[in-house]
Amino acid sequence: MRLPDLMATGWTEIWAHKMRSFLSFFAIAIGIATFFYTLSILSQKYSRLHDAAEIAGAGRLETKTFHPLTLVQYKDLKMRLPEGSSLSFTTEASWVQSGEGWNTLFHKGNQLVGSIVYGILPSFKDADFVYRLEGRFINWQDVENKSRVIVLVVFPHEKKKKEWHGWWERENVLTLEDYSAHHHLLQQQVVLNNQTFTVVGILHLPTQDKDLRLENKREWIPTLYIPFTTWYDLYSNENENRQVSIRVVTGKESTARNAAGTLTSYLRSQFGPEEKPEIEFFRDKIEKHVKNARKSLNNMLFMGIIAMIAGGIGIMNVTMAVIFSRTKEIGIRRALGASRKDILFQFVVEAMLLGLCGAVAGMILGYMAVLHLAEDTSQMTFSWWVVALSVLIALVTSFLFALYPAWQAAKLKPVEALKNE
Amino acid sequence: MVIAQCKNLIKIYPGAQNFRALDEVSLSIESGEFVSIMGPSGCGKSTLLNILGLLDEPTGGEYLLNGMPTAKLNDVRRTKLRRHQIGFIFQSFNLMPRLSVLENIALPMRYTNVSREEILPRARELAARVGLEKKLHSTPLQLSGGQCQRVACARSLANKPSMILADEPTGNLDSKSSADILTLLKELNDGGMTIIMVTHDLKIAAGTHRTIHMKDGKIV
Repeated sequence: MRLPDLMATGWTEIWAHKMRSFLSFFAIAIGIATFFYTLSILSQKYSRLHDAAEIAGAGRLETKTFHPLTLVQYKDLKMRLPEGSSLSFTTEASWVQSGEGWNTLFHKGNQLVGSIVYGILPSFKDADFVYRLEGRFINWQDVENKSRVIVLVVFPHEKKKKEWHGWWERENVLTLEDYSAHHHLLQQQVVLNNQTFTVVGILHLPTQDKDLRLENKREWIPTLYIPFTTWYDLYSNENENRQVSIRVVTGKESTARNAAGTLTSYLRSQFGPEEKPEIEFFRDKIEKHVKNARKSLNNMLFMGIIAMIAGGIGIMNVTMAVIFSRTKEIGIRRALGASRKDILFQFVVEAMLLGLCGAVAGMILGYMAVLHLAEDTSQMTFSWWVVALSVLIALVTSFLFALYPAWQAAKLKPVEALKNE
Repeated sequence: MVIAQCKNLIKIYPGAQNFRALDEVSLSIESGEFVSIMGPSGCGKSTLLNILGLLDEPTGGEYLLNGMPTAKLNDVRRTKLRRHQIGFIFQSFNLMPRLSVLENIALPMRYTNVSREEILPRARELAARVGLEKKLHSTPLQLSGGQCQRVACARSLANKPSMILADEPTGNLDSKSSADILTLLKELNDGGMTIIMVTHDLKIAAGTHRTIHMKDGKIV
């Protein structure tokens, strides 16, 4: 029998026994839904990691030191790094209670919001810069002069997602993006810890689905950037060692190790032999992320496999019942000239059709699960390979589990099958 | 020309008593013959027919179909022979309940290399030959017994077999329908088709060329 005929026969039988078919279809659908969900998220994580690697720049590495760094040291170190490298220092975050300035900026009745302040260098822009800039960025002059200038980070308005596990209301917090939507902030004076700053730039972050960096957690506290040197002036004191992140992007993976060596020896030459900077290569970081993603999804995948086995057993059970009730039919078909192979294929194709339907339903179910359960639906991407793989899994499962009963059917002797009523 | 020849066929159903359904049956059927087989229940008529139709294998003896010994053929070869050389008509029609008349008639062709375009026109032709051209899209449940048996007759002709084996084709039919089916079979026989028919009905048997009487697994 040709495949279209087999499929037509299979379809007729599936339709004739709707309830029975539905049960095994349902089992397969549940399994495929789990797979689809897991694979979708996995696929999305992979593609984002890939994109993150791309915008972060090749040959990127980071380290931290507790010694304060100066502009002279910046220039000195930059000279030693491979040509074309970008070097950037960022201070650790400093929690700053807003002064009167913020109070007047925010309407009365709203919660007072403090802010997180980072000291940065203009070279901050060289890598993973995903912002849209309004006004200007911090420049070298600001750094040299320790200017009191601020660049605000404004998060985009995200589509509000229902928080199932939210235990505190954020509605009373007036966020910077709410505020900036209605007020002109550029050139405004802002008081932070009794120091008056001028807002020179606003960095608009893209929505999360377009933000390809790895750590783009939504901050609910306003984030501000000020010149690196200004930060040191205001927020570090002699007794407290503040951490500085050093980021190098060489532009080529091949020069990353070399740059790491230069960085280590430079820090040692400056701060003594006990300085042991831990260099973190971005490529390793990506790999770690991939590994973590895989680990957390392994459990889900395991559930999927269990569900598929259950679905497969369902298919097997149904196929066996079908064969038992259709023994006579097998006999007739054999008498009319059907070979063992024809009979085998007939039942396998029927089961695979059921599996296929289950796969389609399962994918719809899985997609809905992604929309409603995934942490980050905005980042959900649709990929054809996930669809193809889900269908393949369903087909292979139903094929494997239908094979034994179908083979039993094919083995029946025509005369004995015919006697069956 | 001899189309089917049996030499000392033995069929034993294993069990406590090793029931001998066929006991050294020898017979030879000429091409174009219309033969009826009669005998009481359990005399081995159906067993003989099943062996002739390659649905079952004898325990001993030899069966030659078109001069070819069948004893050592594997399942694939037997299936091929059955598909192309033999048409079956059963007492209980054995139609596929969910298929239309047309699809039932076409079914044996679905197991051959006949191209898909040729299958349905040929099935239509066969339906017309048994007078069912107006019932092509009915299902067997919508047909009378006589009509169902006509479908079965048309189906048995689908792959242009060299002989038709009919196991009590009129057993489930009223006398009018029985007569119709006999007429149809006779027409086929007049066209050169070899027919071997098991029957209980003397009147039906009288309409054939030759009647073989069986008792206790033997031809008498």
